[in-house]
Amino acid sequence: MLGMWKSNAPDEFVCIKFDMEISEGSSLSDVASSTTNSSGRRQNSAEVKEGQSFSMCKRLVQMMQGNIWISLSPLGFAQGMTLVLRFQIHPSYGRAVFSPGTSSEQPNSNPQFRGLHVILADDDHVNRMVTKKLLEKLGCEVTAVSSGSECLSALSSAENSFILVVLDLQMPEMDGFEVATRIRKFRSRNWPLIVAVTASAEDNVWERCLRMGMNGVIRKPVLLQGMADELQRVLQRAREQF
Amino acid sequence: MERTRLRRQVALTRQSLFDQGFLDEQFIQLEDLQDDANPNFVEEVVTLYYRDSARLITNIEKALEKNSLDFNKLDGFMHQFKGSSSSIGAKKVKAECTLFREYCRAGNGEGLPHLSVQGLNGFAWIHTSCRCTRTFQQIKKEYATLKRKLEAYFQVVRQAGPAETACWPK
Repeated sequence: MLGMWKSNAPDEFVCIKFDMEISEGSSLSDVASSTTNSSGRRQNSAEVKEGQSFSMCKRLVQMMQGNIWISLSPLGFAQGMTLVLRFQIHPSYGRAVFSPGTSSEQPNSNPQFRGLHVILADDDHVNRMVTKKLLEKLGCEVTAVSSGSECLSALSSAENSFILVVLDLQMPEMDGFEVATRIRKFRSRNWPLIVAVTASAEDNVWERCLRMGMNGVIRKPVLLQGMADELQRVLQRAREQF
Repeated sequence: MERTRLRRQVALTRQSLFDQGFLDEQFIQLEDLQDDANPNFVEEVVTLYYRDSARLITNIEKALEKNSLDFNKLDGFMHQFKGSSSSIGAKKVKAECTLFREYCRAGNGEGLPHLSVQGLNGFAWIHTSCRCTRTFQQIKKEYATLKRKLEAYFQVVRQAGPAETACWPK
């Protein structure tokens, strides 16, 4: 049973409650041991021993500012489990990424790119201006920076909203590979998504990018359709991993 | 109508830039990006290009004046310059840049097989340097010609008034 209600918490949160029924022989039996458990763990009927995996779940849930508890039958067996999770409500642009939407004001923009917050790093002024406009045409919100170090500081100061980094590989001070390495070192493996832009026609560029933890590669010259295709592919893969 | 005549002139000027090989498809990409939010996007990008690349041209010139050419450095500058030029669809400029980079690579002993490092005696080296310098003169010439032509083009565009730029035949 799935219930949702707004708690007293300020408007930015929503709580979702999951009520689960534990029937005998179900896979939730490791939640609590019962007298029928052949391992013969003794237990007080008023007490329910928590299995190790349940404790881990409980800890995780509490870290997420939620709660989880077992409800007992009159005989002291676990008969149900309730899980409450609290989610912060993000502005709607965050959700647009994962759900197909209806078409927008801009006839060219794909709904899945709408509101996608992109950081664009390219040292060349002309390229930066053109690629930025291209991404905006696709519906993205773009922050353009001119170096690897600016890119890293923009990332660290950004809210934890959905972010994709479009990175020119051939930048003078800190090249794209180094930026990607640093991003992957201090953040998770898949967040933010990184798409490399390169003029190189070498075959192993793609492999090298993948090894560095990047998610996509676009060859220059950057064209609207090429960018749209690669972003779509990268977002699709990201969706699959969730 | 004067408007129609001007619009026709814009279309013809534009077409000739493509026909004569000054511009390539990348310029069309810029036109595609132009919209109501940025009605002068193409002209703005081209203006930015000429402003920005002036610095690169100066750097390359200085580097070419040295007694001993640093081909790596030259190649680096040219890589940047070629990148910018590609972005605006400067076809002839881009072609000369590619040639220049070939010579830089030859100067470094890479690329052209008949100019290996061992074979790079004094004469061959001077030969490569001359080629670089001459190619660069050619680049500057194409660069300036394109600038003149684009300035003339944008002038007619402005005279024709806010046009439905989106309807250029593809």
